[in-house]
Amino acid sequence: MYDKEFKFIFDYAQGKVDDIEIVLSATNSFQTRINQQEIESFNYSDAKGLGVRVIVEGKLGYSYTEKFDEESFKMVVDEAVENAKLNEDSDPAIMADYPAVAAELDLYSKELDKVDVEDKIQIAKDLEKYAKAADARVFNVPYAVYGDTKAYSKIANSKGLNKEEKQNSAFCYVGALSQQNDDKRVGIEFFIGRDFNKIDPKKLAEISVKKSTDLLGGKPVKSGKYPVVFNNEMMATMLGTFASVFYADSVHQGKSLLIGKMGQKIANEKVNIIDDALHPEGANSRHFDSEGYPSQKTVLIKSGKLNSYLHNTKTALKDKVNSTGNGSRGYKGSLGISVSNLILEPGKNKENELLATHDKVIEIVALQGMHAGANTISGDFSLSAEGFLYENGKRQHSLKQFTVSGNFLKILQNVEMIADNFHFNSSSIGTASVLIRELAISG
Amino acid sequence: MLDRKLIEKVIDKALSNGADFAEIYVEDTYNSRISFNDSKTKQSIAGKDFGAGVRVFYGTTAIYAYTNDLSERSLLAAADAVSKAAKGGKIITSIDLTKNTFTNLHPIKIPNDSVPKSEKVDYLRRIDKAARSVSDMITQVDMNLLGKMQKIMIANSEGLWAEDSRTYTRVSANAIASKGSEKQSCSDGPGEHKGFELLHEIDPIELGEKIAKTAILMLNADYAPSGKFPVVVDNGFGGVIFHEACGHALETTSVAKGASVFADKMGKRVANPVLTAIDDGTTPNGWGSTNIDDEGMPTQKTVLIENGILKSFIVDKMGSIKTGYARTGSGRRQSYKFAPASRMRNTYIAAGTSKLEDLISSVDYGIYAKKMGGGSVMPGTGNFNFAVNEGYIIRKGKIAEPVRGASLIGNGPESIKQISMVADNLKMAPGMCGSVSGSIPANVGQPAVKIDEIIVGGRK
Repeated sequence: MYDKEFKFIFDYAQGKVDDIEIVLSATNSFQTRINQQEIESFNYSDAKGLGVRVIVEGKLGYSYTEKFDEESFKMVVDEAVENAKLNEDSDPAIMADYPAVAAELDLYSKELDKVDVEDKIQIAKDLEKYAKAADARVFNVPYAVYGDTKAYSKIANSKGLNKEEKQNSAFCYVGALSQQNDDKRVGIEFFIGRDFNKIDPKKLAEISVKKSTDLLGGKPVKSGKYPVVFNNEMMATMLGTFASVFYADSVHQGKSLLIGKMGQKIANEKVNIIDDALHPEGANSRHFDSEGYPSQKTVLIKSGKLNSYLHNTKTALKDKVNSTGNGSRGYKGSLGISVSNLILEPGKNKENELLATHDKVIEIVALQGMHAGANTISGDFSLSAEGFLYENGKRQHSLKQFTVSGNFLKILQNVEMIADNFHFNSSSIGTASVLIRELAISG
Repeated sequence: MLDRKLIEKVIDKALSNGADFAEIYVEDTYNSRISFNDSKTKQSIAGKDFGAGVRVFYGTTAIYAYTNDLSERSLLAAADAVSKAAKGGKIITSIDLTKNTFTNLHPIKIPNDSVPKSEKVDYLRRIDKAARSVSDMITQVDMNLLGKMQKIMIANSEGLWAEDSRTYTRVSANAIASKGSEKQSCSDGPGEHKGFELLHEIDPIELGEKIAKTAILMLNADYAPSGKFPVVVDNGFGGVIFHEACGHALETTSVAKGASVFADKMGKRVANPVLTAIDDGTTPNGWGSTNIDDEGMPTQKTVLIENGILKSFIVDKMGSIKTGYARTGSGRRQSYKFAPASRMRNTYIAAGTSKLEDLISSVDYGIYAKKMGGGSVMPGTGNFNFAVNEGYIIRKGKIAEPVRGASLIGNGPESIKQISMVADNLKMAPGMCGSVSGSIPANVGQPAVKIDEIIVGGRK
């Protein structure tokens, strides 16, 4: 697909650039929201865009267009060349024809394509219906959503690389609000996957309601330092928020806490963190990254020691290592780095063992304010949280909204125990529940 | 942007199976970004966003489809898709589009694309130099210069046909100070609905020095205390507290679902009488201003809360259908990829009569939040959080030592009642607001306010 468009751009760029790469993405998506059993919104899209990256005298330049005509294709090359000439970055950049990865990933379900739209709408209706029926304290279900996406991506460069990939997936989520006296709580449950038949709206609805109602009747927490358990979802939220500390470009720019720490012990020896773009259950699995570089599994922290950063070919060249296949670029953006499926390996303990380790433990089951209250440069965070107080392993009561504060690196160092309840969140970050020795709680 | 005959054809097609309303939105946008760090231009990227969205209503259901193929065939296919999804609406025939004209409230002096990129780079270089010259502890200065020129066209089955163009310029700069393995950063990001003239109004040296000094101040600061305290939040970006704590819950998106804590409070007292809050889409060249909203309605100045009484919600077209409140010209969207929704524009707490010093001197022990970071809110519960980027202890009515790493959390309707004093130093500050219809430019603003009691999440 799109061979004619790519050829036009390659031909036009001839003589103007040393090398050129074109990335294209074309997506079809559908999403519907239900409110009071009526369709509140119903959205379709059919959209595409392409971006080019050029090397002119060793410097990179970028441009993109969503308008597909000859005039725009010429503009895209000319803009990119102009942008390359402005670039003062002295680090070299390369393009190459990378091999294919040996693994054959299952990224497309033909069955999903065949699902009738009425059945999709029914999922969202059921999410709302079951959430309302699950508990009398539910007073509103603001989110009952089903959506799916089909995505085609293509990447080619002037060194002969030419790869394409097709993926699809469905998602749905339900959010329930419940109330008891003045205490209002929200609970959200999410599904993402390719197997439509695996969606169980009743179960999803009931989990979302339980998340919300369990938190009702919260009592204020006394400010102080407590042992804290992040449940498997919230530990994933924490890890995802601070994932950029592993990015080689953050390290090069002096924006990572892990600068100069390669090979050193930076975490408790129980901690093993990997990035696995080939994980069979990962929603972000893929055959190749945004440079066409083959996907792999990369060990970032091994038994508490920093083992690798995440690289694209540009940062790898600077550090004289191989890319880890974490080049990241949407057609509108420039080449950066991102995680694929980021995993904190589970331990062997049961979650209730973690909660029974100290006479008082706070379990955190919801966090808010990640984009403002977490500083990825310093590692410091102070976040709005919800959760429960445990005494000697017994849940006492839920807590009124409180804050949890600390530093991400210190969290990794103060890991006391990791549970076995491994779970991928909606961004494909997977962890189990984790006990942290001590964090500051304010309520 | 599109031929009138074709627009009429698309709207007719969208209505063909019965619908109460149909609309087409077309966008052609030029975006550019220059990134600068390590004292070098690291990236320059530019490109074209281009596409159209077709929307129909039947009852309270909204159907939306978008495409970036603007051929007649593709637009009619999108219109056909929405019309097939809409069942049971009215049959409307014969649309007659009349072009709307309006006075441009936001004139642009220097279009972004008329300025050589080298001139833009020079501007960033001056910020970089100024920041680094403050101290050797400044180890990185990260900057972005963003330019956006958006042309839009909106037409609908009520005969509306309007076009507008919007130009945005924003510079954002972040200074990182390091000492050993510790790092602290401070950023600032002035932006307006203006062209390159914005950069003639903002002194790069002053900007660079300011962020560098604050980053160093915070590097040497101790952690903030934990607990409940009175807090004085200073002007400008401090307005994020109202934006998060109340603004989102006043949007009809959450009001209509009954998910808003303010849903049944119209005409009632929701705040201390010292508080008046306004959402204004007409502020000349304001970051959140537009001539018309993304549904084609001229924007308004909307008083949300007057002397503590709830006066208006923030209402888009569908919100008006669902709640019965009149539209306020607040239908906004990031791009053609989003159906519009009720969103804030330039939202602020109006100036009061007290002086900042009076607010400070009224506090025996508390926090002075000079500069706020971002925040977020859960509209259904009203629980919000936001970060203090530059804070100080207030001790016996005087500003004392700096503190870092604090966040403030609370509940919107409760916290707003805790605002007991409002100063006279109103100032606006730009931000990007993310919600159902994408990420859009929105100003927040306020004079300094005193919150009698709020939870401060520090580390001590």
